Amino acid sequence: MAKGLRRNHGIRVIQVEQLTKVYGSTAAVDHLDFQVARGEIVGFLGVNGAGKSTTMRMLAGALGATHGRALIGGIDVFQNPRAVKQMLGYLPEFPPLYVDMTVREYLLFCARIKGAKRPREAVERVIAQVALTGVAHRLIDHLSKGYRQRVGIAQALVHEPSVLILDEPSSGLDPAQRVEIRTLVQELAAGDVTVVLSTHVLPEVEALCERVIIIHQGRIVAQDRIDALRGLGTSVRLRVARPVDDLRARLGAVPGVREVTDLGDGVFSVAAEIDVRTEVARVAVDAGLLELGGSRGLEDIFLQLTGGAA
Amino acid sequence: MNVLHIARREFGATFSTAVGWLVLCGFLLLTGVFWFSQFTYYVTESANVVFNPYGAPMMTVAEHLVLPFFGNTLVVALMVVPAISMRLFAEELRSRTLELLLTSPVSTAEIVLGKYLGALGFLGVMALGTAYAPASLYLWATPDWGAVAGGYLAFLLLSGALLAMGMLCSAFTNNQIVALILSFSAGLALYVLAWLGDGPDAWQTQLSIGSHLEDFLRGAVRLSDVVYYLSFIAFFLFATHQRLESTRWR
Repeated sequence: MAKGLRRNHGIRVIQVEQLTKVYGSTAAVDHLDFQVARGEIVGFLGVNGAGKSTTMRMLAGALGATHGRALIGGIDVFQNPRAVKQMLGYLPEFPPLYVDMTVREYLLFCARIKGAKRPREAVERVIAQVALTGVAHRLIDHLSKGYRQRVGIAQALVHEPSVLILDEPSSGLDPAQRVEIRTLVQELAAGDVTVVLSTHVLPEVEALCERVIIIHQGRIVAQDRIDALRGLGTSVRLRVARPVDDLRARLGAVPGVREVTDLGDGVFSVAAEIDVRTEVARVAVDAGLLELGGSRGLEDIFLQLTGGAA
Repeated sequence: MNVLHIARREFGATFSTAVGWLVLCGFLLLTGVFWFSQFTYYVTESANVVFNPYGAPMMTVAEHLVLPFFGNTLVVALMVVPAISMRLFAEELRSRTLELLLTSPVSTAEIVLGKYLGALGFLGVMALGTAYAPASLYLWATPDWGAVAGGYLAFLLLSGALLAMGMLCSAFTNNQIVALILSFSAGLALYVLAWLGDGPDAWQTQLSIGSHLEDFLRGAVRLSDVVYYLSFIAFFLFATHQRLESTRWR
C-alpha cells in the first residue's frame, strides 16, 4: 500500500467528507471537509474542545463517525479499518503507555500488533530515531513526562506508517526536545510521510506546518496555507503619549485600514488588510508615538477566527 | 498471531502487578490451608476406623480427600477470579491504553480473545500451583486420576466462566473496584441460585454456575455440563466484544 502511494505523487492521502460526530444533541465535529496531500504537514488549530481530538480519533479508527466518511490512502476508515490502521501511526492526546513494561518491551509489543515486518529491528530503529537509547531498558512508569511523550511518538512510528496523526506531539516536552521532534517530523514528511498534527503551540505550527486547519466549535473556520492566512489581515497596536481627539479618525483614514479600536490609556488597535505600519506611524507621530506593535502572527488570526476564546 | 501477542502481554501484566501476586499467593494459601486440615482430619479418622470392618472401606481417598479438595478449590476460585478479571479492561480504560489496541490493525475479537486467553493462562498457573496436593496422594495411595483430572477441568471451566463474566464487568467501568464488586456479586448470585431451585431439574439449578460441577469431581465428564460452561464463556466473550464495539460508535 505504502509503495503504491509513493509512486503517485501529489495524491490526496487523506480525504475527509462531511465528517460529523454527534454526542447527544451537540455536534462535537460538524460536517468537516478537508484533504491532505502526500508528504504534507497539516496543523490542526483550535481551542480546547473545538473537536480536534475527536476528528483525529475518528481518522485513527478509535471512534466511529455519526455521519460522513474519511478515506486514508483511498481506503474508507470505517469500512476497512484494519487496512487503514496498518499504514497509520497515531499518537493520542494521552500517550497509551503500559507503564508496567520497559520501553523496549512496550515498543516490541506495539511493533508486533501493528504488523511491523522485523519487529526487533523496527524497535531498535525507532529507539534511535526518537532518542530513547538511554532509557530503553527502563520501566515506563519511571520515566519523566518528556520521555513518556517520546515513547508515545515512537509507538506511532514503529511500523513505519505512511500517515501520521499526532495529537499534541510536543506536549510535555522542553524547548530543546520540541525542536528535535519538529526536525523529526520534517524529516518524515520529506520522506513522503503525511502528517496531521494538532498543537497549542502556535509558533510551532508556523515553523512546521505548510497548511493549517482552524477548527472552532466542530466546524472548520479557516483552512489555508499559513502565508495565505496571514494575508487575511494584519493589525497594528500603538501607544501614544497625547491621544488627541481626531487621532482615531485620522488613523481610520489611512488607506487599507479596516477598523480602529480605542483601547484606552492612549492604546489603539488598528486592523487592516495590508501592512499599514509605516502610514500609521506617520499619522501617530504627531500624537507622540511611544510604541508600535508589529504585524500580527498566526495567534491574532487564530483569536480573531475563534472569537478570542483561547 | 495478534491474539497470542495480546495474550502474552496480558499474562505478563498480571505478574507485573502486586494484585496478581497477591491473588496467586492468597489462592495457594487458602487452598493449602483447606488441604492441610482435610488431610489431618483424614489421617485421624483413618486411625480411628482402622479396626472397624465397616468403617475402613468407607474412608476412600477419592471421597475424603480428592472431592473435598476440589470442592474447596472451586469455592476459593469464586472469590479470587474477580480479582483477576477486574483489571482486564478497567485498567486500560483508566490509563487510556485501550486506544493503542483500538487504533492498531487488530480486530475487537482479537483483543477480547487475547485478553481472555492471557488471563486464562494465569488461571492455569494457579491450577498448577495446587498440583502438589493430588500429586502427594500418589506417593502412598492410588487415587482415581479421572477424579483428579475432572477436578482440574471443573476448576478451569468454572473459573473460565467467572473470568469471562468478570471481563464484561471490567469493560463497563474504568474503576477496578467497581468491576471487582460487580463480577463478585454476579458470580456469587449465579452460584447460590441453585439453592433456590427445587430439585436438580428446576431452572434455578440448571442455570446456576455451581450446579454443573459435581459429576466432574467424581471423574464423570458430562457433555451437557461442558457445553453449559463453554456457552456461558462464549456468551460473555461475545457480550464483551459488543460492549467494546459500542464504545466506538456511541
